[in-house]
This record gives sequence, C-alpha cells and structure tokens, in this order.
Amino acid sequence: MTAAGLFAGAALSQTAPILLAALAAMFTQRANILNVAVEGMMLAAALAAIAVGQASGSIALGVAAALGVALALAGLFGGITVGLGADAIVAGLGINLLASGGTLFVLEEVYDSPGGLRPDNFPDLPALQGQSVIVLASLLLVPISAVFLYRTPLGAALRAAGEDAAAARAAGISVARMRLLSVLLSGAVAALGGAELAMDKLHFFLPAMTSGRGFIGLAAMLFGGGTPWGTAAAAFVFGIAGAAADRLQAWQVPSEFVLMVPYATAVVALTAARLRAIARLRPAAVRPVRPTDVKPLAEGDPA
Amino acid sequence: MTGLWTAIRGPAGALLAALLLGFLVVLAVSDDPLLSYRQLLFASFASGANFALYLNRAMPLILIGLGVALSFRAGLFNVGGEGQLYAGAIACAAVGIGLPHLPAPLLPLAAVIASALAGAAWAWWPGALKLWLGVDEVVTTLMGNFVALLATNFLVTGVLRDPAAYGATSRLLPASSWLPAIPGLPNATIGLPVAVLLAVLGWVVLFRTVWGAGLRAAGSNLRFAEAVGIRARRDVLSAMALSGALAGLAGGLYVLGIGHRFEQNFSPGFGLMALTVALLARLHPLGLIATSLIFALLLNGAAYMQIATDVPRSLVDVLTGLLVLLMTVEPGRRFRRAVTS
Repeated sequence: MTAAGLFAGAALSQTAPILLAALAAMFTQRANILNVAVEGMMLAAALAAIAVGQASGSIALGVAAALGVALALAGLFGGITVGLGADAIVAGLGINLLASGGTLFVLEEVYDSPGGLRPDNFPDLPALQGQSVIVLASLLLVPISAVFLYRTPLGAALRAAGEDAAAARAAGISVARMRLLSVLLSGAVAALGGAELAMDKLHFFLPAMTSGRGFIGLAAMLFGGGTPWGTAAAAFVFGIAGAAADRLQAWQVPSEFVLMVPYATAVVALTAARLRAIARLRPAAVRPVRPTDVKPLAEGDPA
Repeated sequence: MTGLWTAIRGPAGALLAALLLGFLVVLAVSDDPLLSYRQLLFASFASGANFALYLNRAMPLILIGLGVALSFRAGLFNVGGEGQLYAGAIACAAVGIGLPHLPAPLLPLAAVIASALAGAAWAWWPGALKLWLGVDEVVTTLMGNFVALLATNFLVTGVLRDPAAYGATSRLLPASSWLPAIPGLPNATIGLPVAVLLAVLGWVVLFRTVWGAGLRAAGSNLRFAEAVGIRARRDVLSAMALSGALAGLAGGLYVLGIGHRFEQNFSPGFGLMALTVALLARLHPLGLIATSLIFALLLNGAAYMQIATDVPRSLVDVLTGLLVLLMTVEPGRRFRRAVTS
C-alpha cells in the first residue's frame, strides 16, 4: 500500500470513533439536549463488547452487549433529563461518573485486574480493505441520518421538538417522546463508537480508554453546525489532525504534545465556529446604519 | 430550624439513597457486607494516622468545590477543576524545585501564589472565550482537563523528574517550603483549616457583599444584570478565574502539605468529586464544608474497605455517579421547573 493509502487508512481509523460520537451527540442536539454523556456510554459499551465477546467468542454478541449497555445508560439519562427535568449537563456528567466507576468496579470485582481486560484471543471484526464493518457503518450513517432527519416525518418531528417545543406541541408532536427517541438513538450510535474503539485492532479494554473522544465528538458536532454532513466533515478534520499528529512522533515531538492535538483542535474549532457565526451576524446586528448607507434611488435603478 | 431542614432534606435523602444502593451492590459481591460498610464509614476514625489522611483528602474537595460553587453561581459551568488542580500543583512544584534558595517564609508563599495563578489562568481562557465569543465552556473546560494532565505528565517525566524515583514523580521540594501540620495531628496539613476558612470567606463574599450579589444576579440573568448597571461580564470572568485559582490552590497546598512533590496520579478524580460535593451542597459554601467532609470520609474509607474486605475501592466512584444522578432528580426541583416554564 502506498504511503498516502496508509495515511488515509490511519486517518479513517482515527475518524470513525469520533464520527460516531459526533453523530450520537447530533441526534440529541437536534432535540435540544447538549449530550456530554456520549463519553460514558461509549466507555461502558467498550467494556461490554470486550467482556461479552470474550465470554461468547462471538462478535455479534459483543456488539449486541455494547448496544444493550449503552441503551440502558441512555434510557437512564433520557429518563431523568426528559422525564424528570434534570439538567442535561449535570446528569450527563453523572452518567460519565457512573460509567467510569462502574467499568472500574467490574474490572476489579469480576476480573480482578484493575489495569484492564485483555483477552488472549479475541475474534476479529469482519473487515473490508482493512477497515472494519463498524467503520464502514459509521460512514453509511452520515447519509442515513441526513435522510432520517430531513426526509422523514419522524426526523422532522424530532427537529421541530428541538427547535421550538411550544410550536411542536401545538402541532401535535409529543416533545418528550421525541427527546427520548433522540437520546436512545444517541445511545445506539455511541455503542457502535465504543465497540469500534475496543474491538477493532486493539481487542482489549482499558479504564478510561475513550479518553475524551465523546467530548471531542461533541465539539465536532458543534463545529459542524449540528448537520450530518457538517458534523462528518468536522469529525474528519479531527481524525486527520490526529493521524497527522501521530506522524510528528517520527520527528521526536514528545508524545504528550501529539496526544494534545485532538483536544486543542476541539477548542480551536469551537472558537472558529463562533467567530464565523459572529461575523455572519455582525453587519446587521452591530453596525449602526449611517446616512451614507442609504442612497437615494436614481432613475432607472432596479428597485 | 425548619428552613435548615428544608435545605438539607433533599441532599441528605440523595446521600442516604446512594449509600443504600451501594449497600445492595456490596451485599451482592461481598462475603462480609457489614464489615465492608463499617470500614467504609468508620475506618477513618480508627487511628490518628487514618484521621489525618481523611482530613487531607477533604481539603481539595472543599477548595475545588468552592470554586465550582462560585463559577456556577456566576452562571458558568466550570467543569475543569481537575485540570486547574493539576496546573496549580505543577506550578507549585516548579517554583519549589526551581527556587530552592529563597528564604523559608518566601518560598512557600511564592509557591502558593504560583499555584493560584496557574489555576486561575487555566480557568480564565475558557471563561474569556465564553464571555467574548460564546464558546461553550463545558466543552472547553473538559478539553482543558486533558491538555493540563498531558502537560504535567510531560513536565514531570522531563525537567522535574526525580531520577531516583519510580514512575512519574517530581523531585522532592525543599523542606523549607513544607507546610506545618495541625497541632496534635502530625500528618494532617494545615491545608484543611485554610480551606474551611476560605469557604467561610466565600460565603461572606457571595451572600454579604455587593460584588457577590451582583455576581449572583449576573448568574441568573446576565443581560438583566448588565442593564441595571452591574459590570457583569467583568465580574463573571473574575469569578471564573477565582474559581480556577481555588482549584490551583488546592493543588499547591497538596504538594506543599501532603505530597512534598508532584506525582502525576496524585488525584483520585478530585475535580469531578468536588463538582458532586458542590452540587450536593446546593452550591452553598458552608454546606460545602459538610458535604466535603462526608465525601472525603467515603473516599478515605474505601481504601481501608479494599484492604480489609473483598470490595474494591472503585465502589466510591459508582456511588459518586449514583449520587450525581440522584441529586438531579429531586422532586422539588421538578416542581419548580414545571411552575416557571
């Protein structure tokens, strides 16, 4: 394989978990919930995938377990934010604490190995051209979610619930049900992200192995403006930055600075997105109208 | 008296519920669940050494939690306490190791100031980005945590590293910079009394000064506060920096009073625990002292529980998560939301 091909492969591998986290955050964002719980859902899903995959020897069961655990956490998150009106950020951080504490507890209590879970042999994910099916699924999810959000009645209802709850309610949409749906969709997509992270190539689980990818996905979604294609483009920027940073290690750049790149990119990207939004607003909102702006219409000018 | 009861009813209920759920978990996994819980709740009082360790663990919780309360009251979600703690700790260690010849009273003073400034700086930029450009501070402070921990790892495995020690550990700070102990408790640093004093001071500032009142007004409605002439943006940004300074100070006091060096893994997640503690205290500086002491009890007791029984200490992390979730679902709050929305 050529060097460019290798780099593209590395970039795609780095992008996939971030893309899945970003899409997960996008669904709730469209229903007006800032979802910091993606991180915890991914982490719990990653452990479930490895634990069940090891015990059963089956990839399918591993992925199913990841989905089950992440959906349970999503249900809890949705239940207390949508059902009981809890603050989404605080509840999301609570979910993350529960996931990081719970995975550590399971490692210590069930496997007696707080350092991580490394099965001796673990089945490979089916792959195409060196990329796992989950990576391919993450790419397919972009058009699928675009169609879902913009071309189906359910997607329109979900967006309406997020954009104007009162109007949606007046139109007969159950806002609470739409928000809950968005949280569950987010849990399912986050589960794939966690499964990809642990099952593809690595075949092991480490405590806190998501290391902020859920938050980076959240940043990518915000940077991408909350649309499927924009979010995907942003996730690719992050993945390519990560893969490029890995190359820096060849030039003796300390690994800590290489590892900082995704987090720093997230901050820069969010700032850039806000600057863009402000620049767009500025002419109308801030600059006062001066007399010279209003020219009298000359004869024959198009009105 | 009924007012106090109304105030603590919710948090106390959440705490009891979390402990109860935790006991069910212990019941399921342990051969001796009663011993586990006895260790968790009472081992901190079993000896002077245990008690000193307990007090030491409460100090960062109070200081970071106070910062959380301050920033949340001002309307900013500073969830970067962990990163600000590390920034403060590494700055303190760098000053202590870098300027060993400063005379005794100046060295710890310089180190403490450096730690507060470093923490303040690490909270200032997300605050500034939020107030100037509207960049979401939850994401930026979370990102800041990761960057800060990587940066301290770089420093402590590089220039500050102790070549004789194993792992990511800095050289020992000169003894002239060490903080004295609480009289009668040889291993308990005076960091805790300092933290308690600052919490009381925090209460006075928030609830008994014009600045605090303006800050709380800005926290509930920034545009309204600006409209009535409070220089809200500037005040909110100072509150954010102050919040980081308190977390940084916690790091500095930890290095000077407890570790006497910087260790990369010195914090068992104080940042998010302090967030829990502050929320449990309903962002009240005085309540915070109580919830920090309760939480440090669990944090410290878990270590003894793990030694004495078969229950791992990460039980406390599970309890923390449960507690945060239980705190958010208070029935009273739900009612209030329903009325106002």
